[in-house]
Amino acid sequence: MSAIQIRGLGLVSSYGIGVACAVEGMRAGRTGITPLTLFSLPFQNQIQVNQFDHAPFPPGSACATATMEAVAQEALSEARLDADALRDAALVVGTSSFLFAGEADYRRTLADTGAAVMPPLPPPGQVALRVAGQLGIEGPVLTLTTACSSSANALLVAAALLRRGAARRALVIGVEGLSAVALSGFHSLLLLDPEGCRPFDAGRRGMQIGEAVGAVLLETGDDDGSGDRLLGGANLCDTHHMTSATPDGSAMRSVMEMALADAGLQPADVAVIKAHGTGSLDNDTAEAAAMRALFGASLPPFTGIKRYLGHTLGACGAVELAAFLGCLRAGFVPPTAGFTQPDSALRITPLTGLRPAPKGAAMLNFFGFGGNYASLLIAHD
Amino acid sequence: MHKNSDSQPVYIHAAAALGPHGDSTRAERRVLHGDPPPLELKALVKTVVGVSLRQASHLVELAAVGSQLCIKRLSCPVPENTAVYLGTGLAEVRKNEAVFRQVMPPGPGLASPFDFINAANNMAAFYVAKLGNLRARNLTVTQGEYSFEWALHLAAADLRAGEYRQALVGGVDENSRPRVGHLLRIALRDDQPMGEGSGWLYLSVAAEQACGELIEVQYAARNMDAVQVLHAALRTWQQPGESLTLLPGLRIEPAEIQRLAQALPDLRVQDYLGLCGGFHTAAAFGIAALFDAPVTPGLFVHLNRDASGRAMFCAVRVYQT
Repeated sequence: MSAIQIRGLGLVSSYGIGVACAVEGMRAGRTGITPLTLFSLPFQNQIQVNQFDHAPFPPGSACATATMEAVAQEALSEARLDADALRDAALVVGTSSFLFAGEADYRRTLADTGAAVMPPLPPPGQVALRVAGQLGIEGPVLTLTTACSSSANALLVAAALLRRGAARRALVIGVEGLSAVALSGFHSLLLLDPEGCRPFDAGRRGMQIGEAVGAVLLETGDDDGSGDRLLGGANLCDTHHMTSATPDGSAMRSVMEMALADAGLQPADVAVIKAHGTGSLDNDTAEAAAMRALFGASLPPFTGIKRYLGHTLGACGAVELAAFLGCLRAGFVPPTAGFTQPDSALRITPLTGLRPAPKGAAMLNFFGFGGNYASLLIAHD
Repeated sequence: MHKNSDSQPVYIHAAAALGPHGDSTRAERRVLHGDPPPLELKALVKTVVGVSLRQASHLVELAAVGSQLCIKRLSCPVPENTAVYLGTGLAEVRKNEAVFRQVMPPGPGLASPFDFINAANNMAAFYVAKLGNLRARNLTVTQGEYSFEWALHLAAADLRAGEYRQALVGGVDENSRPRVGHLLRIALRDDQPMGEGSGWLYLSVAAEQACGELIEVQYAARNMDAVQVLHAALRTWQQPGESLTLLPGLRIEPAEIQRLAQALPDLRVQDYLGLCGGFHTAAAFGIAALFDAPVTPGLFVHLNRDASGRAMFCAVRVYQT
């Protein structure tokens, strides 16, 4: 089987434009938490968010396409490719929805005219087609909407398209903007922690929502065992409940096992884990149980990075891969920001200090609403 | 892992097409002469699914009924490791609009928890898996006119690659009212009724008891000549004495259909959109409805274009049963 090379990364996050500024922020131990200025909410002072600087981008829904183009250009630049290289590429987008873009246009119209005009709420596929047009992509274009695993699944689908010869390159973009609807919905479900995300911490109370756009440029190549590679992965549906995981973590364990099998690896081959680590009570409990069951006493170091970037929902697959791989390339594994007190019920403790990047495979896990789980294995050499 | 070859045939073992009148059999199909009246599915959910889905959205109900009808038409139980691929062009339009109105000014500013959960665009695929007890791959594709075609493409490729031995593939979309608002989301001609529906295929690599075959789902270049595609279909796939029928998709204009019919004198044309109305995943309805009893055997090619002019076609064979 030919290897899937990770040729380029791109990121727009609350740290700024580019993977490098997020990596430096994470190395310095700075969280990316920012004030929420895009809109106001009745419970604004009860939540923490990660909002990126919108000034460099056009207002309204055009911001979504502009940020997607920006991350694509960064990924191309890193790969030392020009735009022509994307002509026959595939574009695979992952997002929970583009409701945030509809909200942005609605607010602008309301501010400009005083009229509360319901916008058409752009279908996700329409945005992907627009971006493909602007980037000159003539290959397959598709959008995955599987909640918080959307862009992780987009990476898996892109890898499958490449392995089956549907394209030579694939640009995967995860995109998510701050949305009043999403924040309000999670607030209604009592899933937002007023103190921000505290993955696997005894005092954790929920999530910290963020906005970000991430790009990963994939390419087929000779499997000479070098470079950054997507080794494999898996997707699985946990049918236990719409919004909560099988409590014993068995479904999460299954998707990790399936990912290892797809990559041809054993648990002992995993050198480090980027956990999903939302900071919600149930999700972290199930995830901890899954890691304990799969790795036993040989659990590799694991970290959660959602206090740095926020939980970027459908974008987190591409966003967290870009940020985490960026850290590995810079020679370190970031500690779990927000974690201070071990939870005795979890019986495992995430990384609390910066650690040198290990050799070997890294596992990245993503678990979404609708029981939609994805696990990825990457290699950095 | 079992690896199949690219030439591994993919068989169709069951199909179900739920239309805008709640129709699911040939006898129940009716030609639309305007937008269909609002479809109430609660009773059908209870009959087909066997339970009430009290908090479920209309899109979830459509997906649940369609997928369960398909499963019930199988001659054997569905294995747990059956992958689910669901295409939807507009996804949870109604729920998204509902939570939008709840939260955005001048609304009260707080979302109903149930509406918010149901607004998640993958909830329909979750219910399909939960009701079918399917713990396997579960993907929701939302790519306009090609949402179903890509779902079908991914499913067929995964089956051919040996990653799964069976898959449930559907295309589901709901309409919204008023029509003028719906047309902001999907371009329809004045004479095209807005439709909705849920079309499902159960695919397997096993040949026994198949009722048809998925031959190809192909993505073609923007400047693809449909006549060439159909000529290729005739050369490559058509068996001696087999009829070839074109299923024109949502974005195939009448002039193009006429041109194709002139270029291929023996080509039959079947207008399924008259039965289901216009929606992004109408292809799923059109292809699944080919298996309404009594079937017309033959080779069927579904052709469509998306908003950018790219073309995609699906070729299926319906067996004589």
